[in-house]
Amino acid sequence: MSMGFLLFEVRRITRARKFWVVAFLFPTLMYLMQANLFSGEIAEKTGVDFSSYLLGSLAAFGALFVALNVGTRVAFERSSGWQRQLRLTPLTATSYLVAKLTTAMVVALPAITVVALTGFALEGVRLPVLGWLHLVLGVWAGTLPFALLGVFIGQIASAETVQVLTTVSHMLLGVLGGALFPSVAFPQWMQVVSAVMPSRWLAEIGHSAFGGGQTALAAAILAGWTVLLGGAVAWRYVRDSARV
Amino acid sequence: MNAYPRPNGESMNEAIGRLPAAVSVSGLHRSYGDVRAVRGVDLEIAPGEVVALLGPNGAGKSTLVDTILGLSRPDAGEVRVFGYSPREAITRGVVGATLQDGALLEDVSIRELLTMTASLHRAPLPIADVLRRTGLTDIADRRGKLSGGQRQRLRLAVTLVSDPSLLVLDEPTVAMDVESRNVFWASMREFTSAGRTVLFASHYLDEAEEFADRVVLLRAGVIIADGTVAEIRSVVAGRSLSATVPGVTLDRLRGLPGVVAAELRGQRAELVCADSDATARALFARFPEAHDVEIGAVGLEQAFLALTTDSATDSAADRAAVGTTESEAA
Repeated sequence: MSMGFLLFEVRRITRARKFWVVAFLFPTLMYLMQANLFSGEIAEKTGVDFSSYLLGSLAAFGALFVALNVGTRVAFERSSGWQRQLRLTPLTATSYLVAKLTTAMVVALPAITVVALTGFALEGVRLPVLGWLHLVLGVWAGTLPFALLGVFIGQIASAETVQVLTTVSHMLLGVLGGALFPSVAFPQWMQVVSAVMPSRWLAEIGHSAFGGGQTALAAAILAGWTVLLGGAVAWRYVRDSARV
Repeated sequence: MNAYPRPNGESMNEAIGRLPAAVSVSGLHRSYGDVRAVRGVDLEIAPGEVVALLGPNGAGKSTLVDTILGLSRPDAGEVRVFGYSPREAITRGVVGATLQDGALLEDVSIRELLTMTASLHRAPLPIADVLRRTGLTDIADRRGKLSGGQRQRLRLAVTLVSDPSLLVLDEPTVAMDVESRNVFWASMREFTSAGRTVLFASHYLDEAEEFADRVVLLRAGVIIADGTVAEIRSVVAGRSLSATVPGVTLDRLRGLPGVVAAELRGQRAELVCADSDATARALFARFPEAHDVEIGAVGLEQAFLALTTDSATDSAADRAAVGTTESEAA
């Protein structure tokens, strides 16, 4: 692990202004729009109002949205020749991938926080301090498999296909996983599909900050995804390094 | 500074005698699909040598360079850099490389890029020192677009950060303006005056002639000549003759008496002649409109031409490579 390279990567991502505008605005606006369009209480969770429930969903979406976008930069750095350039330095491919993952985690935290602050300031969502910590830090910890997924997409995609793959992943995870729109309104078959999506369980961690919810099950499923996607990244890494 | 500190009381020659070769390539083969890019190369470069690697496009220069740097794995044969494997040499910072189109980043400043690179090495040079040597001090904090020459100097700066004992350069001065080129070679002289080794692949024969101690000529994946500039020139006996000959073809030039090798650039014929008097007489007899005739000693460029187009003992693969050179020249 190279600290110098990690700081360099974090500095680069903090400079990508367009990246931050989209990362902050999109989840926040989706939250505000839905919180104002619909109101009332979530039927299955008595006492939790809609804007609170949505906050859990959109905090999760904000996190996975930016985490995916960091990893996929790997594809551009391969096609631009930057990775080849790095191979002329002592930096190992493992350090490179670990730095990308860490950077994805670093940017996910403010993305989650912005959604949470919006809920607090504009929608009057109230939680005890521990509840906020559960929401922000819990969702943040659960972001790891999405950071891995982003890196994996970066490994397998070309500079031409990476945008499409990322957008499709955003949509599948956001819509089918019920992070972008609440899955409670889904028909039965979509509920079933939703149950295997990691984003469904990341949102569950957000929802559980407001009481109830299956935090332990969500954590276990996300851990499973972490192992699966971590294995995929490692497999691809071994394949790429054998093909010199 | 030096990767090989020598014990007190030992002379430089004794120290060099025990050092492993800066580059040692033996029995190297590398194919890409059906293309046999390198087919049996042996090359030893002693510490302190400045070696130019020359050859037409497709001769295998880049493949050889990539293999020495560990970017490409040989199908057969072995590569050692100061006794290390290529990757180990990179990790230890004893070899640095500037590639022709090495990627740079536009979202970081020159200083930031160099600082990050320095953080990866065990004993980097001070950044200010590297900036000064490459003439980048004034624009060190600039981000974004750089000119072609500035980019190439930055690539060199990134390479120099680790203070390597061996510098590998692939077409180092391509896309450089005159000023950048001067700064570049000045920093190279500073670099080699401390006894470091340089291997550079180039298209510019005048740079090889001026700068290299030794020239290695590659054609169709094999080394066809290896020696000092003077030795390479002396391999080709005879004189060079160039003339503007309207309407001539390469075949008719080759048909002239005494011609060893011929090249045509537009209407300008470049000939290497065993008997330049006989060639000149025949040239004027067959092409009365020939003008601007110059006859002189064979330079590196003409020697290069003669060596890379001599087809007397060529295999089919060699002829294919020669065909490439001619079509590019035409």
